[in-house]
Amino acid sequence: MLLVVTYSRAARRDLRNVCRRHETCVAQELGRAALFEGTEFAAFQALRLREKHDLAVQVEQLDPFEPCDAPARVADAARAYEHRAEPATPYERFAAGRDLPAPESMREEPL
Amino acid sequence: MRLWVDGTHYEGRAIDLRATDVDGAAVARAVRGEALTPTVTPTAASAVYGYVGHVRPGMGLRTKTALAAAARSRGMTTPYDDEITGCRERLADLDPERPELPTQVDPVADRTVREAAEAVAAHRGRVRVHEGLADRDASEARSDLRAAARRLAERETEREAAKQARARRRDAAREFRDRLVARRRLADRVANLERDARASLVDALEGRFSAALDSLPGPSPDDPFDAPPVAAALSVLRLADAEAPVVLEVDRFGDPATAATWLSAPVVRC
Repeated sequence: MLLVVTYSRAARRDLRNVCRRHETCVAQELGRAALFEGTEFAAFQALRLREKHDLAVQVEQLDPFEPCDAPARVADAARAYEHRAEPATPYERFAAGRDLPAPESMREEPL
Repeated sequence: MRLWVDGTHYEGRAIDLRATDVDGAAVARAVRGEALTPTVTPTAASAVYGYVGHVRPGMGLRTKTALAAAARSRGMTTPYDDEITGCRERLADLDPERPELPTQVDPVADRTVREAAEAVAAHRGRVRVHEGLADRDASEARSDLRAAARRLAERETEREAAKQARARRRDAAREFRDRLVARRRLADRVANLERDARASLVDALEGRFSAALDSLPGPSPDDPFDAPPVAAALSVLRLADAEAPVVLEVDRFGDPATAATWLSAPVVRC
């Protein structure tokens, strides 16, 4: 899939028009951005926008992201924290007593 | 004021040009500093002249905007001004120029590098065979191996250069887009603050504006902001600090001198 993000009014307007006119190549319209299907025609539309609006259009290629695509300690931490008994506990405190990665260490670690 | 137009020099508080065919719009443009002729002094320092510097039949007017500009001409301030200034400065610091991106380099396929590496391995094998045989072709095989190794190094360098160029392009584009987003946010913030500032200036002057409308000859509307554009423009001018000449093409006063007195501004009647 492709993520198309616009950074100017004109680009946003044209993105809206593409989404209206070519529904088959749009999976999700998200205001100033849209998720395009992974087809050549969708790529063609994304590149047209890019050609017309230059850097005011950003195109990213997306892959699905599942828990198994993240390091196990990160996925485990997310699962454990979302099942915490105390909703008010901030993650930092939750992680400290449990051998879970600290937020700081994860912030500095590229995926 | 002084005015040089069509080879004639005029001076005074009220100048009547009705007997000439001088164009009022041209004089108003010169007052705003948008044209070099006719020559007029003083020229307008205040934005209020953009709204009410040329009062004529059939004119339009954004009354509240003009009234806020009149308040500014008198040096009135609002609690929003400091933040507006700060946002404007931050906006000026954010370069809107599109950056020159590093040249795009075609990516080198991993397969290309792999094939070059396989070629090196194959040549290395041939060199070993020929060296084992101690034959004359060994040196040729060695030079083939050197050439293959050179090609592999070149492909690897190209692949790395392409990757780096791509990363640099992405970074430059990202930085530019972040700037665009920040500029948009600041511009929206400035627009909101200016709306608030305008509302507070209009509130501060509404009573005096209404009084100015009442003292104009002719009927007064119930809501001062429903006043017709000419009456509203004259009332705004009366409240403004108007040093530069105002161009009038309407007769609400007996003569230009009376108009100049009522408006407390130099008047050019066209």
